[in-house]
Amino acid sequence: MIREEEGTPRRMTRSNLCEPKTPIQATSIKKTSSQFDQTNALPVSSVCMTLDDLHASLPGRRMQVEEILNLLGPLDSPMLPLFLYGGTSTGKTRTIVQIFHHLNRPFVYVSCLSCQTPKILFESVLDQLASHKRNSGNGYSSFKQCDRSSDFLELLRDAVFSWRQKSSNVCGVRKEGNGKMIYLIVDNLEVIRHWGKNSELLSLLFKIHDITRIMDLGLIYISCNAGPEIYYSSASSTEPVPIFFPDYTEEELHQILLRNHENPKLYNSFLKLVLKPFFRVTRRVDELSLAFKPLFQKYCEPLTDLSVIPDVSLTRELYQRLRPHIAFSLDEIFMVTTRFSADATETSEKTIVRKRNARKLVCEELDFHMSISAKYLLVSAFLASRNPATLDASMFDTKGDIGKQKRKRKNSETTMQKENTKAHEMLMKGPGSFSLERLLAIFQCITSVSDICVDEDNEEVVGDDNEVGLMSDVLLQLSTLCDANFITKGGSCPLESTRYRSSIDEDMISKVARTINFPLSKYLYRG
Amino acid sequence: MEVTEASLLLRRRLCDPSYIHSIFKSSPDGNYSKLKFIISNSINEACNNSVLLLGPRGNGKSAVLELVLADLKVEHPGIISVVKLNGLLHGDNNNGLKEIARQLCLEFDLPFSKMASSDENSELLIDILRECGLAHKTVIFTLEEFDLFTQGKQRVLYSLLDALQFLTSQAVVIGLSCRLDADQLLEKRVRSRFSHRKLLFITPLKDDMQRLLEHLLLLPKETNLSSIYVVEFNSRLYKILDSKEFKYHLKKVIDIDNNISNLVMFLYRAVCSMDLKSGFLSLENFKKAISYFHPYPKQESLRNSSILEFYILVCMNRLDAKEQISFNFNSIMNEYKAIMDAYKTSDNYTRNVCLRAFEHLLERGLIMLTDNNVRCQSIEFRPVKSLISPQELHQALKAYNPCPVLLLKSFNNECFK
Amino acid sequence: MSVSDSEFPLKEFDASDHNLQKASLQKPELQETRPKKTKRKIDMSSKNPLVDGDSEELTDQHYEKLRLCAFNETWSKIEITIKDVLEKINISLFEDVMKWISESFKEIRSCRGEFVRELMLSYPIVTDMICKQIPTALILTKNMEFVDDLSTFQELSAHLKLNGCHVASLSSIDFTTKKGVGGCLRSLLRQLLVASSDAADIFVLASWYSEQHNCNKPIVIVIDDTEQCSGPILAEFIAMLSEWIIKIPILLVFGVATSLTSLRKLLPSDALQYLQSCQFTSESPQARMNSIIEAVLVKPSSEFIVSHKVAVFLRNYFLRHDGTITSFIQALKVACSKHFYTEPLSFLCCDLVDEDYEVLLAKKVESLPRKLLDYAFCLPSCEGKMNNGTFKDLVQGIFELKKTRRYWSMVLMCLLEVAKLNKLQLLDIFCEAANPTSFKLQSSSHLQAPTAISNTIHDMKIHGFGKNGFINRIINKTRDLQVVQLSRILKTWEGYTKEICEIQDKLKDLQTLLNATDNDTRLKQQLSNVHRSTSRFSSFSGKDMMGVNEKVALLMEGMVRDYMKPIECIPFHEIICFSLVDMLQEALIGDPRKTIQTDLLHSHTYIQCCCCKDKNTLLPSMHDTSIVFTLAQEHGDLVNLHDWYESYKSIILSSRTKARRKFNKSPASKKGKVSSALSDSSNLNEATIQARFCKAVTELQISGIIRMPSKRRPDYVQRITFGL
Repeated sequence: MIREEEGTPRRMTRSNLCEPKTPIQATSIKKTSSQFDQTNALPVSSVCMTLDDLHASLPGRRMQVEEILNLLGPLDSPMLPLFLYGGTSTGKTRTIVQIFHHLNRPFVYVSCLSCQTPKILFESVLDQLASHKRNSGNGYSSFKQCDRSSDFLELLRDAVFSWRQKSSNVCGVRKEGNGKMIYLIVDNLEVIRHWGKNSELLSLLFKIHDITRIMDLGLIYISCNAGPEIYYSSASSTEPVPIFFPDYTEEELHQILLRNHENPKLYNSFLKLVLKPFFRVTRRVDELSLAFKPLFQKYCEPLTDLSVIPDVSLTRELYQRLRPHIAFSLDEIFMVTTRFSADATETSEKTIVRKRNARKLVCEELDFHMSISAKYLLVSAFLASRNPATLDASMFDTKGDIGKQKRKRKNSETTMQKENTKAHEMLMKGPGSFSLERLLAIFQCITSVSDICVDEDNEEVVGDDNEVGLMSDVLLQLSTLCDANFITKGGSCPLESTRYRSSIDEDMISKVARTINFPLSKYLYRG
Repeated sequence: MEVTEASLLLRRRLCDPSYIHSIFKSSPDGNYSKLKFIISNSINEACNNSVLLLGPRGNGKSAVLELVLADLKVEHPGIISVVKLNGLLHGDNNNGLKEIARQLCLEFDLPFSKMASSDENSELLIDILRECGLAHKTVIFTLEEFDLFTQGKQRVLYSLLDALQFLTSQAVVIGLSCRLDADQLLEKRVRSRFSHRKLLFITPLKDDMQRLLEHLLLLPKETNLSSIYVVEFNSRLYKILDSKEFKYHLKKVIDIDNNISNLVMFLYRAVCSMDLKSGFLSLENFKKAISYFHPYPKQESLRNSSILEFYILVCMNRLDAKEQISFNFNSIMNEYKAIMDAYKTSDNYTRNVCLRAFEHLLERGLIMLTDNNVRCQSIEFRPVKSLISPQELHQALKAYNPCPVLLLKSFNNECFK
Repeated sequence: MSVSDSEFPLKEFDASDHNLQKASLQKPELQETRPKKTKRKIDMSSKNPLVDGDSEELTDQHYEKLRLCAFNETWSKIEITIKDVLEKINISLFEDVMKWISESFKEIRSCRGEFVRELMLSYPIVTDMICKQIPTALILTKNMEFVDDLSTFQELSAHLKLNGCHVASLSSIDFTTKKGVGGCLRSLLRQLLVASSDAADIFVLASWYSEQHNCNKPIVIVIDDTEQCSGPILAEFIAMLSEWIIKIPILLVFGVATSLTSLRKLLPSDALQYLQSCQFTSESPQARMNSIIEAVLVKPSSEFIVSHKVAVFLRNYFLRHDGTITSFIQALKVACSKHFYTEPLSFLCCDLVDEDYEVLLAKKVESLPRKLLDYAFCLPSCEGKMNNGTFKDLVQGIFELKKTRRYWSMVLMCLLEVAKLNKLQLLDIFCEAANPTSFKLQSSSHLQAPTAISNTIHDMKIHGFGKNGFINRIINKTRDLQVVQLSRILKTWEGYTKEICEIQDKLKDLQTLLNATDNDTRLKQQLSNVHRSTSRFSSFSGKDMMGVNEKVALLMEGMVRDYMKPIECIPFHEIICFSLVDMLQEALIGDPRKTIQTDLLHSHTYIQCCCCKDKNTLLPSMHDTSIVFTLAQEHGDLVNLHDWYESYKSIILSSRTKARRKFNKSPASKKGKVSSALSDSSNLNEATIQARFCKAVTELQISGIIRMPSKRRPDYVQRITFGL
């Protein structure tokens, strides 16, 4: 199966070299197109699920589900606005959507995450109410242009009204029991808080119920990580009814992760191993499931058939194989697979080994190309933003200054307290900023000192290369470094020199210094 | 069947503020009668007037106002026309004036042009007011979110009140605001034209509460509900309301927040959880309703954080205890490493993972960055402060059932020694 | 006389003169010898027109044209080869990416299949986290310099379009905090939708994608400079896309210039977890460089080559200054043009590769005027060898040249085969192989008795052809090669060395020997597998393996000694070989900060006015800015404005001898404000002087040489220049 998966694209690419033919056979076009033209008024879910299905599909959320069902009440019952809140990925959206599938009532869903301006939000709501589909025919324009909030409320009133007309007309066609109540779900409210200038939008959303006394428009707000107290300032006279979604407990997580796996026994044994350590780090379903996916593949690697029911011995054996991977992926938040599985595993092994002795600084060469002068410039930028400017003179006194530095170290050690505060300051303010001139000065000192070693290490090919001094077109290199985010640039007037700051981290710079065998530690001032 | 009907009835009541506050009609010295008096005498004496309704949210300012207006419309048919403005929507000048003009045009079916400039609109306003004055018609302007009208140059208010100043018409301007100092926000020229009549809406008193409960929950006799059921329902309800336990719970609710909307929410929850088979409100319903209140949101989200996040909080706490004025992720990381080196433990994670946990805490709002990112540098350098007190943290740690001993230890030996 | 001829001397002159100045800036002792050669050549080329009058004009113009079109022809060839090489390098990467795209798109479609009914609806499809991830290709261009990769990514998106994806290529300009997410959405829509609507929101994209003819292709967004995007905006964008990923299957292609950690620093963790990322690595710039050199400079097909010095310069320029292929190619182009510009006979070298070359060349040479012929025979490379030779000699010489060139590149290719095994850079080997001095030494050292070698060793060290020379390393490398590698290498060598039969023979019997050893080693291994006494056998087999390797090494040494003759040891090499390194450096490394200062000091070299001939004293007739700057040299890094101004004034007025009482003014008064005090007897009054002074100082400030007074020291300007 995997082989064939590999097979098809290769054929495809080869064929595509000659004529532009789309790789994928147009199988599901018909479905989507049929989807496309049936413009049913509003999302009335196809799958009607029983209460048990509902609870089964939402493990660990029984209490919330029941409460929401109560609050929504039977058909056509008026309701106070609801306010669902809780941590990230605690199944708020999923719960509400599933519930509406179960209740099989019409609703309008809008997520503030995909609307970056109020206009877009308003128009998407109105489009859905008017069951207006954008297409090339109408130039992908929305149903109504609506920019001001006052217009929005007017239009909303009209839209709800007209929708009710339509629904009552087609009531015969539609399934019974959709009722004349329509619900408006506003998701990801917390995003709006950061819109800044649109803070009144928030209070508008909360006041919809007050201002437009539309009895049969049910409002449901979903907010992530931000409880009602956050929104208090912009709350309305009728506060929405808060419903809290706590994070999942370990058992609930176990249930959730176990869902829809072929061979749950095997996965269960796997979860028994991994869930506990990971649970200490994070309790979020999404992160856990992401971390477990590659791990489970590792876990299954030795197995020939995946339908095996693991006994104790097998589990232990598998665990032995798995343990290093667990340790590795506990410390990893960003999994990058390499294209070809072979060297992917190889790299992972290497990284594991690296992690084993991670405590001592791992030395590994720089894995991208930089010109030598850029390297020197980078090092000098690093020094410039780490060392206090006052010490430059003593640091870069071109003849051997180590003795001096030693002494400085000593008498700083004598005053422990001062050192602590200094270290703390260093920590706080991060890399310091420096002017172009200071950078150039340091750069020149460094290069003049280390010209010798440069000549040494590539003498055998270049007899006399000093005619190409490093000092030339440094500014070009500087701009390149800025582009590569190694040096950040503080905006300033072009005549007066702008301030720079090196944002490169320690081990990276040590790598760079190693490639040009530059004694970094000798020049670095430790507070 | 009638059970669902009853529950529907109760829901409808609870969702309808004007019904909720209609209870205060009867009281002679209530805001209702005061407001009604003000408006009606400005109708009778044909004088302009203006009044502010102030009071915290959810005490029924707008509800009472609506009741009054409705009644007045019944009493004086055909001579009252209302213009409703909302500071949220029509706060800025031309927007507000346009809205006024629009509603007036709607009222006196004149043609309304969207393109009209704000000056033209104010012209129109004055003309109409004059006409109304001659025709002994009253125009009532209700300005909700009054405080939002005071932002900017207050041109709406000024032109409105100025018109009332010299016109011999009979118009009333009613401002509603939840800011008690709303009239202090006015400019001098506006304030001078404003009559400082204020009606204060305070939260209802104890016995009012009792009456309100009955008003909301008792089923009415005269409905199509069978009278046996109604009587049964009400008698049970009376029992509950009089019971000691219920009083206790009610007190808890009111202690949390004693304005009406909070009470309404409480009742709404109770009604929603009403068992439709038996069809009667039971004490359990109220208990359940109160169980949903989360008076300590911090604690909630604190309880939801993972062990690593707790470690970071503890580290921040230690840094606080060391009287470090400000610290950032790097210093937290040092502290963390210090703990990890001190006691060998399995919870020794890399920087990335800790940074992720740190970001989680930020999302939860348990900690916050104290600078507005001016130097636009990476997050680990930005100063941060913890928003939870050591006591809260201590409680949470104790509550957290598989809490590692080391965590508590490293917490305690900083705080309580 | 013709324009071109008149141009020669002048340009040459100040070019070399410049090098003098540069030298005096940097490392004088090294520079002294350089300009001589160029000077001499200049005299030559500039002498010719003087000798024979304007009757030559026509022929000169004719040859000008010849050289010009020769240049065009050669360069176009080179350009094409480079282009092909780069494409060949990229194509594999592109195909990988395309394959990955189609696979991950298939996955998404399988997800889509389940929810086909919901696709049109507004609410999110309830799936688990895995399905919410955006497939993301991280293409590590192993080069911090960004210039080379722009073209790569353009080609990539073209390739993807051709293979049937909707491609939109965004860049960091779209991801700025000012524009926000709306900005990038807008440009995205502008690229995808034919009929672009004013509204820029994701809904438009969704409804567009859901249309018949769109919905069976993936949408690929190529962001070529990810590091420069603003992190928060990118994160927001990713979060938004991940909500829609099933409805709108969008795939991301990120170009990462430096390393993955940079991406990790750029994005917050929750944005990172939306990326189902898969990393590709494009060829490192060294590899690209190697293949370019191989195609352009090593392959015998090329008709224009560079001398050792130029090669070294190019190499350093690449390694030290900016590691961009682009600038390297530019450098090459400059070299090429300079070559055809300065070298009168250079047109002879074009189409060296055609088979009927002899005839053509013969024709060309026949038609040469005597002048050029003489010039050819007193080229530095054949001075003394043959004087006043005939056409024949010239043709012969060029044949010789061609032959050696062919052999040379042949051996170099052979070396390269081995070098590939232990990761040596072709550029270095090339530089070493093109080094004439080292070759002379080496050949001599082989001729001499072993006793005499010792004293040459030392100079060999200097010239880098010693034990640690690259070629030696390679030869040593051959000594410990596996049988398999060895046989493969021998095969490739056979391919290269077709025309030299003795090498062929040697290779033949080497291969037979190799096969023999190979067989019996294999046999021995079988034996050793049978009974566990591997050590003895292996050592045994190892021993006679050594024999073969030794032979191969010897053969290679022989080849290097006999056939790898650097082009610069051959007469007439100037015709095809470019060696004016100074000119190239002059053209490439303009060193702005230094040149500004030097030119300010020596302004008279540019303004060749009669009034200020005298170089070492300041004259009022000189330009104000240069006067002010020269005066500033006397101060430290802080210049007192008042003293500065006074000295400036004294110089300005120095022509008028009468003593004048100085006004001691506060520097504040220099701000353009006209002072009442007028210097009586001169036409330029105080105000004018001040104005001129201000102008000069401002110019210095604008050119970044001084900084204006600070709050702390209101009466001092700061000198912020280095390198002098």
